[in-house]
Amino acid sequence: MRAPRSALVVLFLTLLFLLGPFVILFWASFGTRASLAFPPEGFTVYWFKKVLGMRMFVDSFRVSVLLALSSTVAALALGIPAAYALVRSSFPGKSLLELFFTSPIIVPGLVLGFSLLQFFTAVARCPVASRLFLGHMVILFPYTVRVISASLRNFDPTVEEAAVSLGAPRWLAFFRVVLPNLRAGIMAAFILAFITSFNNVPVSLFLSGPGVTTLPIQMLTYMEYYYDPTIAALSTLLIFFTVVIIQLVEKTLGLSTTLGG
Amino acid sequence: MLTTRKLLLLSVPALLALTIFFLVPLAMTFLGSLREGGTWTVNRYVAVISQRSFRVALVRSLKLGALVTAVAALVSYPAAYAISKLDKTKRTLLMSLIILPLMTNPVARTYAWFVVMGRHGIINQALLSLGLIGSPVKILYTEGAIAVGLLQLFLPLMLLSLVSALENVPGELEEAARSLGANGMRAFRHVILPLSADGLVIGGTLVFTGSITAYVTPAILGGTRVLMLSTLLYQKAMTLMDWEGATVVAVVMLLLAVGLNVLLRRLRPQEAS
Repeated sequence: MRAPRSALVVLFLTLLFLLGPFVILFWASFGTRASLAFPPEGFTVYWFKKVLGMRMFVDSFRVSVLLALSSTVAALALGIPAAYALVRSSFPGKSLLELFFTSPIIVPGLVLGFSLLQFFTAVARCPVASRLFLGHMVILFPYTVRVISASLRNFDPTVEEAAVSLGAPRWLAFFRVVLPNLRAGIMAAFILAFITSFNNVPVSLFLSGPGVTTLPIQMLTYMEYYYDPTIAALSTLLIFFTVVIIQLVEKTLGLSTTLGG
Repeated sequence: MLTTRKLLLLSVPALLALTIFFLVPLAMTFLGSLREGGTWTVNRYVAVISQRSFRVALVRSLKLGALVTAVAALVSYPAAYAISKLDKTKRTLLMSLIILPLMTNPVARTYAWFVVMGRHGIINQALLSLGLIGSPVKILYTEGAIAVGLLQLFLPLMLLSLVSALENVPGELEEAARSLGANGMRAFRHVILPLSADGLVIGGTLVFTGSITAYVTPAILGGTRVLMLSTLLYQKAMTLMDWEGATVVAVVMLLLAVGLNVLLRRLRPQEAS
């Protein structure tokens, strides 16, 4: 049975609404005028060259990538054993532990960022970079637990038991049998966590400091003072970055595996 | 098999990390909002609630949250229905387009609306050249601008929830209703809607809580005058240096988000995690 024409029209308009602004932004980022105006005049790649040469954006891009990589790895290091413990055991209060492990998703990012700033100021003074790292690790952790748990549930535990009963020590069975079978899940969790960290504003907003600023925060700061198409060019680049990642995920894992975890 | 105790040891590092860097800071904020000069008090809440700016921001957040959720549901049903009837290749392509706003850098995504809604943006230029207005009208820094930005951000969540709910509604049921004489609207109300209500509830909770706690969209499209709870919290904490007031706003946001999630769990206890 096919969908009625009216539903298809709504779908088309929805897509136009969701994606139209990106197309317009893309167009505007090639305009020659120094202020954002529509329709853009002329054609130039000046803004792209300018943004790629700006220290503040290059530096904060580097901070964002390093932060996303390190906090993702840390969240996986905590999340893989935690997911293994949750999936393979049963005890009273297990659902409570599961709830605790996923609760950083429920708490608004801005509230967590503000609380962490107070915590780091009052109790645990430490450098800006490590504040950001710890804050991001906390917000990424639930995603790793969810995705890894889902892929652990699809893996037959008797295979692991077979390895153990054939004489493999527990840790060897885990690394040689369980982990290779979780490869897709780990990849999915990695990409999801990386993007979540790379795009995060609310936590970074409170925890960034002099010299250590993430890219989205740097963009927000720049926008307070300048109106030229620099941010449009940078945004265009970032949107392409996202499209490439979505394609990669789709090609290697399938979107439903990644999002439905 | 490993014993439960040995297994649980594996979750200890995560438990410790979350306790120290998540639970303790939140507890400090919560308890701190109730302490003053060594005694327990609700004075700070009274002070913040008596501020007009707070009440305006609270009402605005709830209002825009409800509006965005309602529009998202109305638009998503037909759109998700259309998607669920497509073949798998087209569906996958559409899904990857739909999640683009969710996966994009939030500043880049919101900035795109500048070009649409700004003084010299596409809407103003179109209205001017049609002769409908004499000079550019203010679209940015209004509640409407925030609502549009939030809708673009959260509509995908509603769409994803509804598509997966509608995929599970057997097509034969709808055809049966039709062949027994129900028109499209009746088949929708009595067959499709009840069977996909779960997706609507989940999607609705995600959209509503997301809307009332989002920061970047109201910060860029609402500016410093049209404040929502999130932008008020930031302004109190970082511009006005009123940490005590900011703490109260933070607790209110926390209670709203947690409360809605508890409500969702009550409604659908088995799958809410």
